[in-house]
Amino acid sequence: MNGLDAISANNGWNIAALGITIVFTGLVLLSLAISQLHKILTLWETKHLFYEQVKEVWQKKRTGVADDDRFLAEEQPPEVVLPKSLKKSADQFNILVLHLGEPFPLPKLLELAIKRGLDRPHSTLNHLIQTKLIVPDKLGFFHWNEKVYNCISEPEDE
Amino acid sequence: MQHIDMKLLKSIDLFKDLEGGELGQIASILTPVRVTEGETIMRRGAPAQTFYVVLSGNYMVYFKGGQAFTLHKFGDVLGWSTVVTPFYYRATTIALTSGDLLSMSRLEFLRLVQKNAVLSGKIMKKINEVVEKRLYFLKTVSGDPD
Repeated sequence: MNGLDAISANNGWNIAALGITIVFTGLVLLSLAISQLHKILTLWETKHLFYEQVKEVWQKKRTGVADDDRFLAEEQPPEVVLPKSLKKSADQFNILVLHLGEPFPLPKLLELAIKRGLDRPHSTLNHLIQTKLIVPDKLGFFHWNEKVYNCISEPEDE
Repeated sequence: MQHIDMKLLKSIDLFKDLEGGELGQIASILTPVRVTEGETIMRRGAPAQTFYVVLSGNYMVYFKGGQAFTLHKFGDVLGWSTVVTPFYYRATTIALTSGDLLSMSRLEFLRLVQKNAVLSGKIMKKINEVVEKRLYFLKTVSGDPD
């Protein structure tokens, strides 16, 4: 037996079709891998940042909260003692935050504080950030920390 | 020119790998700058001519879309666009409190790194770490580093 008959008799057509399928599947997978190569390279270049994120997620799983969120998540935040003038400023900034809504852009809050003529808006804003009354999210915007705000007290001798 | 303490320079993360002679070379192109509360240190879109290292003070860096972060630590770097093309500032920086900075002109810095490849390698490695973190922040907040 020769020619096409021999091919048919020995499952030649099926084997040829299987071969074509395997080769084309391989080529498609290879092209998909190449098209996503830039993502793998980016991941490789920023692997230490990736490790930090994984570490943070791991920490979150273990303790229930991430490092950055721990302060916010505490049941009893420490009492924050602010001078009277700063307590007043915190109240004024709180009104501005309520006006802006949350999360808010920090430069917008500063701009509003300047426009409203608040006393030393830049350093007051810094103080509110340092005392964690204003806290950053991970996207470049900020939140008002109500838990800390509720714990603010004034020094007794003032 | 105001004298810059070598011990202070060595304690800055950016310069901690530099040896005595290299520190002296860097010190010769650094200028101490005093900034006041509310002062704009750099403006987004302006040509990036000067690079700063924080000695003291608190700073807000903000981008086009209103995203921002604050810097409070000794050794933090401001104005990394000075060493990254197309050499214009990508953010505006405001001093939230008075503070002290060390400023370095882009041209003088480039002149120095062209003359000294070893020094260049040590500093650029540190600067690249800062640039990488800031670009990652930019990508995260806007999905576009520009």
